[in-house]
Amino acid sequence: MTQSLDRYHRQILLPCFGEEGQRKLLGSTALILGCGALGTMNASMLARAGVGRLIIIDRDFIELTNLQRQILFNEADVANAIPKAAAAKEKLSGINSDIEIISVVDDINHANLERYCGLTEGSEYPRVDVIVDGVDNFETRYLANDVAVKHGIPYIYGGAVGTFGAQYAILPHTEKGDAPWEKLPGATPCLRCIFEQMPPPGLTPTCDTVGVLGPVVSIIANLEVVETIKVLLGNFAAVRPTMLNIDVWENTYRQLKIAKAYDVGDCPCCKHRKFEFIDGFFGSSTTTLCGRNAVQLTHKQGHVGTGSHSGGGGMNFDEIADRLRKHGKVTANKFMIRAELTDNGNPYELTLFTDGRAIVKGTKESNIARSIYAKYVGA
Amino acid sequence: MLYFDNAATSFPKPPEVAQAMAQLLATDAANPGRAGHRMAVRAEQKLDQTRLKLARFFNAPDHHRLVFAMNCTDALNMAIKGVLSDASGAHVITTVLEHNSVSRPLQSLATSGGGGIELTRVTCDDDGLIDPDEIRKAIQPNTKLIVMMQASNVLGTIQDIAAVGKIAREHDLLFCVDSAQSAGVLPIDIQAMNIDLLAFPGHKSLLGPTGTGGLYVGTRCPEPVSSSSGSGDHPAAFRPWREGGTGGDSSSPSQPAMYPFYLEGGTPNTVGVAGLDAGLQYVIDHDMSKTLTHEQHMVQTIIDKVADDDRFILYGPPEASKRVGTVSINIKGYEPSDAASILDDSFEIAVRPGLHCSPYAHRRIGTYPAGSIRISPGPFNTDEQLATLLDALDQIAG
Ligand SMILES: Cc1ncc(COP(=O)(O)O)c(C=O)c1O
Ligand SMILES: [Zn+2]
Repeated sequence: MTQSLDRYHRQILLPCFGEEGQRKLLGSTALILGCGALGTMNASMLARAGVGRLIIIDRDFIELTNLQRQILFNEADVANAIPKAAAAKEKLSGINSDIEIISVVDDINHANLERYCGLTEGSEYPRVDVIVDGVDNFETRYLANDVAVKHGIPYIYGGAVGTFGAQYAILPHTEKGDAPWEKLPGATPCLRCIFEQMPPPGLTPTCDTVGVLGPVVSIIANLEVVETIKVLLGNFAAVRPTMLNIDVWENTYRQLKIAKAYDVGDCPCCKHRKFEFIDGFFGSSTTTLCGRNAVQLTHKQGHVGTGSHSGGGGMNFDEIADRLRKHGKVTANKFMIRAELTDNGNPYELTLFTDGRAIVKGTKESNIARSIYAKYVGA
Repeated sequence: MLYFDNAATSFPKPPEVAQAMAQLLATDAANPGRAGHRMAVRAEQKLDQTRLKLARFFNAPDHHRLVFAMNCTDALNMAIKGVLSDASGAHVITTVLEHNSVSRPLQSLATSGGGGIELTRVTCDDDGLIDPDEIRKAIQPNTKLIVMMQASNVLGTIQDIAAVGKIAREHDLLFCVDSAQSAGVLPIDIQAMNIDLLAFPGHKSLLGPTGTGGLYVGTRCPEPVSSSSGSGDHPAAFRPWREGGTGGDSSSPSQPAMYPFYLEGGTPNTVGVAGLDAGLQYVIDHDMSKTLTHEQHMVQTIIDKVADDDRFILYGPPEASKRVGTVSINIKGYEPSDAASILDDSFEIAVRPGLHCSPYAHRRIGTYPAGSIRISPGPFNTDEQLATLLDALDQIAG
């Protein structure tokens, strides 16, 4: 690589960086999972910092309501209905043409994430050095967590909704225990060490149902970027070992000490090396319904309160119905909620049942059904 | 879980089915015929015993002409493509009630360029019954084949295949029967009913495992292409749609023209067939007519509940005696898929919504494209389970 490092001069000046650090960054690959509010900020800052290769995956198309916080997009993208990942690549190439940007327009799921991380035999993608969380649902996070622990790849978790956000870096326990971070400062607990199961569907608020303040997402995204850069520089001792929870409206900034979660728990993922999300044993699955322009989405296991059947699970039907009413006509009885929604200009009907399963009418595409579910119910 | 989806596949299976499969796996699961060692011979014998048992059950004259298939769809493809692939310009009569496993192979032959076939889909009456006379009227000079089901998978209606078989024979036509919903509950007599091709699933009322089925190929069908004469010079040959290893006659470059091997290329599902054998034995030991009576009683109870209640819509005849154990309904105000999801989610009851792979049937009864809720009790459903189902329907209908 004969690139000039001039453009990175101001960060090379930093003692923690130097030219050597910059070269490390240029030689590394980061996966940005999701390209919404978090992902656009992650991608923008990592591209500017000179991470050599960025893989950006997102299934969605840009909508007007994204522009309030998703910094890489503009009105023309909305008018042209461009996929987020493709638009991000185009914008970022204009910001830093030295680096390679790979955009993928796809649903992230248990069958493809390892391939996109360059971890399967014959994968056309480079092996990633870090996974950066820009997703909008827990199922994908638990899947990313599985991939991180299975393959020993640091996973930078971040999430924001309303005026609240959380950020945490997972330096996974590996099978052999010989990853560079495992001696010093030591591996950190994984998501399943902390919460073994996902929250029940419909219980976690989403940006599309309760709203989100733009800056809180930017703050969380930038905290993720800081931890990502530390990881890519190999400076694991600098990685913050706590989970940071902030509420920018309540002015609370809390650091949760979670280091013990690994020791006290019996994590199926870290300790038993069972990767139930990768194996497709947990998570959700979709099927196109016979004869209908509709997709059914069902949950397998892995949620708090949802087993194979739980007759009510952890879902709060009234609350969900109230949230959905802000988006369209809702009819509900004790068996189901039916909401007529307009998403990105297209009409959909979402029917939600007490165990968290849903039927999305108006599409045959599981990508779209998953996206609607993640946005309006929360997965 | 209360299982009312026996038209898709029967559940539960008699315990003997799993036992027979486990036994075969544990002791005799060699590749039949491929070697002369004793395990291979035992596996081959098992296949042959079941073949014979099935042939007797359907009163087929020659058990060697009964070939195993992986399901009824497989068998129907073998039959339809087998007799029609050399029959360009031939006319085929079928019905609007047929399952996609009949309609789609026929459709693809009808629309394939060059050697396409001509297709007539005879309609049914409002109750979902086919008048054999309508089939007679559809016969043309170039008609070669009649393909139809013995019982509808949407409405459960029982068709008079004996009458159609008689017509077929009178006009020297081939008659292919899809017995997916009838084999194991309705009497089937290949000889008395003039059936030339009988396709059946092993996993429905014959109570075997999924992955099993079969086809009987009668002697009036075109002959197999003989291995010595190659293909091409047999204008009306029966074509195997799968070719490969048969465990014998390996020197021949083409598929040996001998049943059952002609249509059984590849390692057979011996484990599944062992299960099918046990399922069939259960059916034989337990008097099929009692099963039919039981299922018709259940269907009648459902019909009596919904027929005069304007919260529901019933499809098909009000008399269960005209049906096998299958009934389609809808609940007003609910899409079938929503109602079925509620039954599963809130009541743990399994039924099947949608089109049941039979789009023409749903067009005919006016339920296209949403379809209906299909309830199909089986031999092991109890009156208590039925009461729970009826109560659930009542609650959902509100
Ligand atoms: C009438 C009819 N024909 C054919 C089939 C296909 O049977 P299989 O699923 O065994 O392929 C079915 C199955 O539902 C059916 O109901
Ligand atoms: Zn863990």
